[in-house]
Amino acid sequence: MNNMQRSDRTRWIFVLLACLAVSLVSVAYPMYVIRPFRAQGARELMTALAVFRFGPVLTVLSALAAAAAAIAYWRGRASTWRRMLMAAGAMLVCVLAVLARVNVFEVLLFHPLEHPEFAAVSEAKLDADDKLIAVKIGRSARAYPIREMGYHHVVNDVVGGTALAATY
Amino acid sequence: MRDVAGRRLTFHLAGINNQNFLMRDEETGSYWQQISGLAISGPLKGQQLTLVLSDELNFATWKAEEPEGTVLKSVAKYAPEYEAKDWDVRMRRQAAVIQFPEHGMQSRDLVLGIQTLGASRALLYDRVIQEKLVKTYVGTQPVLVVVGPDGQSVRAFSDRIPGVEGVPDFYRMTANQPGAVLMMDAASGSEWNFQGCAVSGSAKGACLERIPMLKDYWFNWRNYNPGTMIWGNRAN
Repeated sequence: MNNMQRSDRTRWIFVLLACLAVSLVSVAYPMYVIRPFRAQGARELMTALAVFRFGPVLTVLSALAAAAAAIAYWRGRASTWRRMLMAAGAMLVCVLAVLARVNVFEVLLFHPLEHPEFAAVSEAKLDADDKLIAVKIGRSARAYPIREMGYHHVVNDVVGGTALAATY
Repeated sequence: MRDVAGRRLTFHLAGINNQNFLMRDEETGSYWQQISGLAISGPLKGQQLTLVLSDELNFATWKAEEPEGTVLKSVAKYAPEYEAKDWDVRMRRQAAVIQFPEHGMQSRDLVLGIQTLGASRALLYDRVIQEKLVKTYVGTQPVLVVVGPDGQSVRAFSDRIPGVEGVPDFYRMTANQPGAVLMMDAASGSEWNFQGCAVSGSAKGACLERIPMLKDYWFNWRNYNPGTMIWGNRAN
């Protein structure tokens, strides 16, 4: 009986470690591949984007499995510090499930411009030699200073009734 | 344009692919390559964004052309972190992660890239600025590349006058004021401005067809245009 319990406990530990591994890869691999100033191979990029896409689902399933494993382990006869360790491992998997929903580059590195505002030419505080990306659709003319675009990189806009994304 | 397959998409910058940005649309989670506008992953994989004709101009030039235009406002909390006005030149010091050491080109050489009907050509930006007017071909398309009166802004046009037979043979005039006459053509004897429109002569009122052009670094242009021709490289 004691042997059975020990083998059950070992099984739950393996389940938790597997969940931890899946979650860590789901969070870290896309970040590793897509980081700046590194060459990206076509296959690894596609894999990283697939992990980005399916990572949130995978990590939630991992979190549920890790929580179940920790609960089952807790009910056994393991020592208190081992139970605490399993609980901490399950919590870490839950944290990774949250992190898998956050693209660090998107939120922190690239400074998205959520609500762009525009000024008339006469009010623009620019030097004569400031460079702009300029579009004209129908009678509507819009310009995006490169000093700002080099920081925000993407502006979702509507010009002359046409929805466009200015990107630099 | 960001209306695709009946949906209006909202883009965010989400990653890097060999130093060209990847954009993610928040509606479907698809990933799009910045330079090509192609969805490379996700539910919209294979869809293509339609390019909107754009210019890279100096503020003085644009202001003279579009006095009723509107400009993206800076955001106060980010303003101290905004890039220098010569950001593209400063970035030339950064190493490139992919290399195409062909025809004497350096990875971070700035080029003006043009694609027409499956053909492509990269024009070395510094040489274009030096020459002020370049006549070339991209595939079978005759192209005229013109530097504006500010000495920095550049536009590309079809090197044919609508409704006029034959080669127009444009030549550049000295011009340093926004809106000034920039060139003449021998075929019609007309004067043309930087918007590619004839302001005098028998072609007055006609405008040359605009050709989309992208200012880019050599390595990035070459990566997505492997068969590109070059104009103005150092090996010439």
